[in-house]
Amino acid sequence: MQPWPPAADDALLAELRAARQGCDPVPEEFLAAARAAFGWRSVDAELALAELTFDSACDPEPAGLTRSTGSARTLTFRAGAVVVEVEVTPSGVVGQLSPARGGRVTARTSAGPYEEVPVDAVGYFSMTAPPAGPVQLCARTTEYAVATAWVSLR
Amino acid sequence: MSERSTVGLVAAASRGDERAWDELVRRYTPLVLSVIRSHGLDRADAADVNQTVWLRAVEHLGRLRESNALPAWLITTTRRECYRLLRLGRRIQPFDPYDDSAGGHVGARLLVDPVTPDEDLLRAERQQALREAFAQLPPRCRELLALLTADPPVSYREAGARLGIPVGSVGPTQARCLHKLRNCPALAPFVRARPTGEDSGGDRDAAVAASR
Repeated sequence: MQPWPPAADDALLAELRAARQGCDPVPEEFLAAARAAFGWRSVDAELALAELTFDSACDPEPAGLTRSTGSARTLTFRAGAVVVEVEVTPSGVVGQLSPARGGRVTARTSAGPYEEVPVDAVGYFSMTAPPAGPVQLCARTTEYAVATAWVSLR
Repeated sequence: MSERSTVGLVAAASRGDERAWDELVRRYTPLVLSVIRSHGLDRADAADVNQTVWLRAVEHLGRLRESNALPAWLITTTRRECYRLLRLGRRIQPFDPYDDSAGGHVGARLLVDPVTPDEDLLRAERQQALREAFAQLPPRCRELLALLTADPPVSYREAGARLGIPVGSVGPTQARCLHKLRNCPALAPFVRARPTGEDSGGDRDAAVAASR
């Protein structure tokens, strides 16, 4: 491996030239989407962030669990003791909140909410097939309120 | 110094300063995109990953402001989301994560060349660091080096004339400015010492390699 930054002035100047000229142009839509993300800051400051801790699409199944059947994709989000489990199939999304509490779940894309459904007494909820692109679920119950990490569900 | 400025921007953005956020986006979207490009996603998936990463970043601002953690966090998160979408693209045919043939197939798509993407990534990080270091230079150095790295490059004679310095001083001034650039703290995380000397960059290189 070569030392870096290069000791020779000519070589450093060449790298600086490449750095100043060589970066590929960033499409404006990418910049616009990134800037617009800021609009979601503290929109729901009361919601605790539930981090994505498991996604069957790219994580190995936890030891001891049986693999989910069929083509369903399962995701797990956690915020402290609160767990949101989601199963995505071509026909829709079913989820379960734990601990089970009644309430409502709202789903949104970066463009805004697209669906709101009730949570039943044992914590289940059911939604239509998600749109493309990153989605966030916001669950508000009698005892807690969480928002899942943004993630593409299909 | 640049660490402080990025940290300062993150702190300002986490307090709601939208202009600070816009500057972070301007500064780091090229980095996010370079990671995405190294994974060979199509444009729709690339746009989804980019959006996902920045939406997550908004929610992590408070946790990212303690140190200069944003660039590394962006790289890690972007790589993770690229991998997710590459896997999702294959979901029509259910796959077994323990099946070597399926994993090998995805792996082949993920890293078309097993070496190049990391090298691309390192180059992108270094170029980003160089741009930041350049931005920290005194105005006089920025002006001179901008002329000397222009496309097409400007001659010493013309650079001297434009900046009002004797042509004989251009070379020594360039050397002083490059010395400042080389020693800028923005480059510190990427410094790789000579193999025979103190290898101050080794830990980071090892850490970067291990994380990939």
